[in-house]
Amino acid sequence: MKKKTGALLWGGLLLGVHAQAQDTTKSTKQIDEVTIRTRTKSTEINLLGAIKTEKIGARELLKAACCNLSESFETTPSVDVAFTDAVTGYKQIQMLGLTGAHTSFTRENIPDIRGLAAITGLTYTPGTWIEGMQLSKGAGSVVNGYEGVAGQINVEWKKPFSDKEPTALVNLYQSSQARTEGNLVYRKQVSENLSTNLLLHGRSNWARIDQNGDGFMDQPLDKQFIGANRWFWFAPSGWEVQGGVKGVYSTNTGGQMDYNRDVPQISGNPWGYQADINRLEGWAKIGRVFPKNPGTSMGLQLSGVYHDQKAQYGTRRYDGKQNSFYANFIYQTILGTTDHVLKSGASMQYDDYAETLAGTPYGRTESVPGVFAEYSYNGNEKWNVVAGLRADYHNLFGAFMTPRLHVRYTPWQKASLRASVGRAQRTANIFAENIGFMASNRSFVIAQPEAGLAYGLRPEVAWNSGLNFTQKFRLNYHDGAFSTDYYYTDFQNQIVVDAENPASVRFYNLDGRSFAHSVQAQLDYELIRHLDLRLAYRWYDVRTTYDGVLKERPLVAAHRGFANLGYETRNAWKFDYTVQWIGPKRIPATFAHHGGGTVAESNSPSFVQMSAQVSKAWKNGDVEVYLGGENLTNYMQHPMILGADKPFSPGFDGSLIWGPAMGANVYAGLRWKIQ
Amino acid sequence: MKRFFLFLLITLFSFPAFAQKEDIKTDTFKVEGNCGMCKKRIEDAAYTKGVKRADWNPENHLLVVTYRASKTNLETIQRNIAKVGHDAGDIASDETGYNKLPDCCQYKTNSCNH
Repeated sequence: MKKKTGALLWGGLLLGVHAQAQDTTKSTKQIDEVTIRTRTKSTEINLLGAIKTEKIGARELLKAACCNLSESFETTPSVDVAFTDAVTGYKQIQMLGLTGAHTSFTRENIPDIRGLAAITGLTYTPGTWIEGMQLSKGAGSVVNGYEGVAGQINVEWKKPFSDKEPTALVNLYQSSQARTEGNLVYRKQVSENLSTNLLLHGRSNWARIDQNGDGFMDQPLDKQFIGANRWFWFAPSGWEVQGGVKGVYSTNTGGQMDYNRDVPQISGNPWGYQADINRLEGWAKIGRVFPKNPGTSMGLQLSGVYHDQKAQYGTRRYDGKQNSFYANFIYQTILGTTDHVLKSGASMQYDDYAETLAGTPYGRTESVPGVFAEYSYNGNEKWNVVAGLRADYHNLFGAFMTPRLHVRYTPWQKASLRASVGRAQRTANIFAENIGFMASNRSFVIAQPEAGLAYGLRPEVAWNSGLNFTQKFRLNYHDGAFSTDYYYTDFQNQIVVDAENPASVRFYNLDGRSFAHSVQAQLDYELIRHLDLRLAYRWYDVRTTYDGVLKERPLVAAHRGFANLGYETRNAWKFDYTVQWIGPKRIPATFAHHGGGTVAESNSPSFVQMSAQVSKAWKNGDVEVYLGGENLTNYMQHPMILGADKPFSPGFDGSLIWGPAMGANVYAGLRWKIQ
Repeated sequence: MKRFFLFLLITLFSFPAFAQKEDIKTDTFKVEGNCGMCKKRIEDAAYTKGVKRADWNPENHLLVVTYRASKTNLETIQRNIAKVGHDAGDIASDETGYNKLPDCCQYKTNSCNH
C-alpha cells in the first residue's frame, strides 16, 4: 500500500500537477486524493487548490463510448465540439469561445498536441487509454509553458503500476456508420519496481456513407493505427524514471462518393480528399525526491515529436513536416515550512516546420529557451495563492515575460471563489489550424507578410482573466454542486482568420480589438439515489476586428444549453442521456449559387442534439456491453457544402459548418477486463 | 425549454418538504470491509426502504446511515448489510453472502490495495 501510494504520489509530483502545488509532504492528503477517485462523481470540481480544475474521470468518458479525445467532451459543457468541415471528418474543440489551438493539451504534463497536429491530434489519443482528464479554464501554471490562453487539458493514461487496472482491457466498437474500432490496454508489473504498458488502437471507416445526400462522403474512408509502449521504474532511493514511445499511422480518402485514391483532380473527375499521417513520439521523465528534505524534489521532462503529413484537397496540395523537441526541468522546494512552496526551473522548446501549400514552401525554426518560478502559499485554510512568472526568449520574436496569478478564497462552508489572470503567447500554425478552409476553393492569402516571422506574421498575445465560484450543497440527503464562471480574453495580437470574402481566407495581424467573454453556469445534483442530473448553460460574446469592422466571430454559437441524466441500477445497468441546444451562429457572406453574385451574411438556425447510451456489466464489471445512439434527432446541416454539384468552380465551399455533418448513428460495443 | 427548467426548479426545492424532520434518525456503526469495491455493495445493501442516505468510509470502516424511523430501524439495516457478507454493528455476516464476495473483499483473510 505504502509503496503504491508513494509511486502515485511521486508520479503526480513529477508531473507537476497543480494539486501537487499544495503540499507534497502531507502524504495523507495525497492518499486521499488517489483513493477518492474510486468513489467520487464522474466529474468532480475540487474545492481546494488555487486553480479550478474539473476532473473528468473514466466513468464520465464511458458515457460517450467515445473513441478518441475529440469525441470525449460530448458530456462536458465547458467544451464545444464541432466538425471542422464537410469533408475530412475531423472535429475541433472550442473553449471560452476560442479554437482548440488556444487550449494547451498535455499528456501527463508533457505538451502533447501542438503545431501541425492542432486539429488532427485530437484523434491520436484513444478514449480507452485514458484514465482521466483535468480541465482548467483560463491561464494555467507557468511550469507547463507560456501557451494556452483558453485553458489546459491534461490527459492521464492508465497506469501500469495501478492495482485497480486489469491486466488487459479490450474494447471493441462498431457503429452503424461503418466505423469499426478495437483497443487494447495491457499492463505488466515486471518486478516490484518496474512496470510497463502496451497500448494499441486500430480503427477503420470502411464504407462510403452520404447521409445528408450531397454526393460527398460524410466522413472519409480511413484506417488509423496507434501504438504505444511505456515503462515506469521506481527506485527505493527516491529516483523515478519513466519513458515511452508512441506511433500514429493514419490514412484517409474522402470527397465525392465515387472518388478513388489518386484520381487526377481536374474538372469532370470526382473531387477528392486524401491524407496520410505518420507520427512518432518519444518521451522520458526522470525525477527524484529527497527523503531527508521533505517537500524537495526535482524532475526532468523530455520529449521529441516527428510528424509528417501529406494531404490533397481537390486541386490543393498541403504537406507538412514537424520536428519538435521539449525539455523542462523543475526543482521544487519549501521555504521554511510546507506552507510556502517554490517551483523553479528552465525549459526549452524547439520546433522545426516545413510546409508546402499549393506549391509554395513555408519553413521556420522556433527555439525558445525559458526560465520560470512559481510560488504557492497554502498556509491558510481560507485562501491560497499561486503566483508564477516566466521569461522566455524566442528566436524569431524576441524576449517576453509571462506572469500568471491564481487566488482562491473560501467565503463560507463548501464554497470556493477563485480568480485568475495571466498572459499567453503562441505562434499560430495558420494552415494546420484551418484545414477546414482547404475543403473549399477559397484561396489562402497572407496579407502584408513581414520577413523573418512565422508565415510573415507576429505571434498571438493575449491576456485572460477569470472569476469562478463553486458551491457544493446537500439537499434532501443528496449531494449537489453549483458552479459558475466568467472569463475574459483580450488579444493584443491575433492572427485574424478572415473568411468574410467568399473567394478567400485571409490571415493578418490584428488591427483593432479582439476579445472573448464567456459565462457558464452548471448545476449537478443527484435527484434520487444513483440518478445524476447535470444542467448547464453557457454564453459567449466573441468578436474580432475584420478589416476595420468589429464583428462576431463566425461559426461560434453564443448560446448553448445542456442537460445530462445518468442512472445506474444495483445490478450494473447504466443509462445515460444528453440533450443540448445550440444557438444560432453567424455565417459570413457566401457566393449565390443561383444567378451569381453573393448572399449577405446570415445566422444559422438553432438546433437540438440528443444522445443516449445503455450499458450492462457482469462479473463485478469485468465484462460490459454497451449500446448507444448519437444525433438521435437525425438533425443535419443543409446545405452542408455550397456548390457541391460543381466542386471545381469558385463557389465550392465545404468549410462553413455550423451543424452536424452526419445523421443518427447507432453503435454497440464491448469492454472486457482480463484480471 | 423554459418550462422544463421551471419544472426542475420546483421539483428540486419541493423535495425537503416531504421529509418530516422529527422522524429522521442518523446512526453510525462499524461495517467490516476492505475498499472502494466493498463500498458500493455495503451502501447498496444499506439503502433499503426508508433509508435516506448511507456513507461508508473505507478508511475507518464506519457507516453513517440516515433513515426514517417510522419506516425502518437500525437492526433491519444491519441485517440487510450482513446478508451480503459484511459484519454490520453487532450482527455477524451471513456465511453464504461472505463466500460470494470477490477475493479482494473477503476482509477476514485478504486486504486490497485500492
